[in-house]
Amino acid sequence: MKISIEHLTKAFPSRNKKGDPVIAVNDMTIEIPSGKLVGLLGPSGCGKSTTLFMLSGLENPTAGRIMFDDEDVTTLAPERRGIGLVFQNYALYPHMTVEQNIMFPLTNMRVPKEEAKARALDAARLVQIEDLMARKPSELSGGQQQRVAIARALVKMPNVLLLDEPLSNLDARLRLQTREEIKRIQRETGITTVFVTHDQEEAMSICDIMVVMKLGIVQQIGEPQHIYDDPNNLFVANFLGTPPINVFKGKAEGGNVYIGSQAVMKKVKVPVKKLHEAEDGTVTEETTNEIISDQELYVGIRPEGFIYDEKGVLTLNVDHIEVMGRDKSVVCEHESSTKPTVRCILDSDVALPDSDKFSFNLKPNKVFLFNAETEERIL
Amino acid sequence: MAKKDNIPNDEVKNAAELDDAVVTQDAAVDADLPQESAAEAKPSAGQKIKDWFVSLWDKIKSAFVSERKNEQLALPRELVEKIPPEMLLTDVKLTKKEKVVRFLRSQSGWLFVLPAVLLMCIFTFYPIINAFVSAFKENYNATTHRFDGWGFENFKRVIMSDTGTGGASFVQCLVNTLVFTLVSVPLSTLLALLISVALNSIKPLQKAYQTVLFLPYLTNSLAMGAVFATFFTIIGTSRHVDTYGIVNIMLGWFGVEPIDWVGIGSPTWELGAITIPWAKYVVAIVYEVWSGLPFKILILFSALQSVNKQYYDAAKIDGASRSTVLWKVTAPLISPMISYLLVTGIMGGMKQYSAIVGLFGDQMGFNYDMGTMVGYIYSYIENGKTGYAFAGSVLLFIVIMIITLINTQISKKRVTY
Repeated sequence: MKISIEHLTKAFPSRNKKGDPVIAVNDMTIEIPSGKLVGLLGPSGCGKSTTLFMLSGLENPTAGRIMFDDEDVTTLAPERRGIGLVFQNYALYPHMTVEQNIMFPLTNMRVPKEEAKARALDAARLVQIEDLMARKPSELSGGQQQRVAIARALVKMPNVLLLDEPLSNLDARLRLQTREEIKRIQRETGITTVFVTHDQEEAMSICDIMVVMKLGIVQQIGEPQHIYDDPNNLFVANFLGTPPINVFKGKAEGGNVYIGSQAVMKKVKVPVKKLHEAEDGTVTEETTNEIISDQELYVGIRPEGFIYDEKGVLTLNVDHIEVMGRDKSVVCEHESSTKPTVRCILDSDVALPDSDKFSFNLKPNKVFLFNAETEERIL
Repeated sequence: MAKKDNIPNDEVKNAAELDDAVVTQDAAVDADLPQESAAEAKPSAGQKIKDWFVSLWDKIKSAFVSERKNEQLALPRELVEKIPPEMLLTDVKLTKKEKVVRFLRSQSGWLFVLPAVLLMCIFTFYPIINAFVSAFKENYNATTHRFDGWGFENFKRVIMSDTGTGGASFVQCLVNTLVFTLVSVPLSTLLALLISVALNSIKPLQKAYQTVLFLPYLTNSLAMGAVFATFFTIIGTSRHVDTYGIVNIMLGWFGVEPIDWVGIGSPTWELGAITIPWAKYVVAIVYEVWSGLPFKILILFSALQSVNKQYYDAAKIDGASRSTVLWKVTAPLISPMISYLLVTGIMGGMKQYSAIVGLFGDQMGFNYDMGTMVGYIYSYIENGKTGYAFAGSVLLFIVIMIITLINTQISKKRVTY
């Protein structure tokens, strides 16, 4: 089922009565294609869970519209939307067995008992907990509880499956395993799935489409790899990737980009949007590449964007080197860096001299330029 | 020499314990799959009772004798050979004197609880034991402490209601008490649950309602009983009525003839040896339900407030109706509190006294026809036949015990913590 969200806005009243309302979700417009796994990603307090609860119907939007296919569900009660919701703490009923928990939505829909049992078993098989049907939730591990919660959400064959931080209560190993599991279940059932997470690695690994949010505002929507390679602004670039991107204060002068006194890029051309008026009066937008104008910049360089070269364009003071086996990361310092350390990831077979200063060349597609004021991407 | 003999014994004991552990584990597995091996897993009743006494004795022993745990552990021989003898802590040889000193020291904790234990002995244990013992004394005289011998005469007479005039009838009191308790406690718990769920779902004036609902708890039960009696009363004589109580006035609006709810002319049903003064029952039960509500609401309301809101959200998503949420989600989630209220409420109800006196006077209605178990006991203390009072209290103890045992058995199945 396709989900269209138009101008969705949620305001909460402020704590003191005269204050401005808190805008949790700010004019959100996205379209989620049918059968995709979509991740809402952002730091805590960015409105991603609020968005999910508005999709579920547990929260009412202040403004905007939610459409499931062609049906307007904005004011529809949760139980009539045909959704399954998995809560962060699973919210399994502690007094019911696993089977009773999974069957609960069906008994509310007055499905005959035999059929309900059969469907519960099917759902349990899908998440591989059919052996645990007689247990109580307190007798299950975190991962098993998580599966029960998913089975309970799936058993009523929802059109949309919503997951609120589904992996946050699991340990690291189980998290890896469960996220693959979620991906598999989503693929097998083909249900449009929206899930919320603050962990960018988790989002990148399983999402078809990723929605990055900050302070209630959608920053970027797209395929994970695309967002990683082509971030819209400094926030998105910073939020994605472990280790995070290195950001330097820099400036553009005479077409060259400088970090400190070193020109790291020469004769830089940036795309500039221009309105072009044709003879018949229609206005079209044209993008042309022009030499960068003189300005203050943020230069973002992905850790994997460094190439060791004795005559490289950027020289960094080496603090120490961490060997990870597959690769090694050189931890450096630089006076223009906005973070205390600069991290460069190199292949483990790159031979490094014993020196306290290394020079690097940069991979052009791993370097991003941001406007110093708006933090919007320039190149 | 003796010590050496002990070691293999310990080993044998340990082996036996290990076997026990294996057996219980098997039993646990069996419990999961009852259809497979129900027949072979069931020990005989006699064996069960014997095991129960053995485990009870072990518990009592372990409460009084604290042994060093190590001394019971027999290490495997190859391990003992590896460890230097002076480092072996398991088999320490002690002289008799050391043993005595060690035992006394291990018991020194009793000094700390001694004051409390002494007071409890004087004011709790002695009276209980004394009541049990005295119940078997025949024709016991409380002032001279003389009695004619031992026997079951008191119990026999109490149960046969053959206790002479001036006191209550045991069967009547037992039936009264059971009816008051078993009707009013579940009823008031149910009402309290509904009221607290309603209270929990409103936002404005919640605190004000809570205060109003709790007010009756602060009121004296004797005084409230007297006030309730005036609600139901008819003042005047049977020939000339001065005024009706508010209940009769209100029933009059619906064309119901005035009923003498609490007076001498109160309607009754005769059931063999006992009388059922049903009108008085209604008054007593209404009062009990009403006076039991505040405390129950307080407890259930606070229990409701501690329920995670996410369960309600989940139930909403799952399409549960309001009544389904109440009976399938809310009630089970606060079942420990409901069970607590039922158990303590029934215990308290079985000891009801002052409210009935407040409603129906110190004769508990007409010649104790509304008597309770405690009222029964008091009536025989008052007229000097203390032996019946002793027997009555022992019987009350047994009745409460049986009901509480039933309660715990039910709550084991129904209550999830």
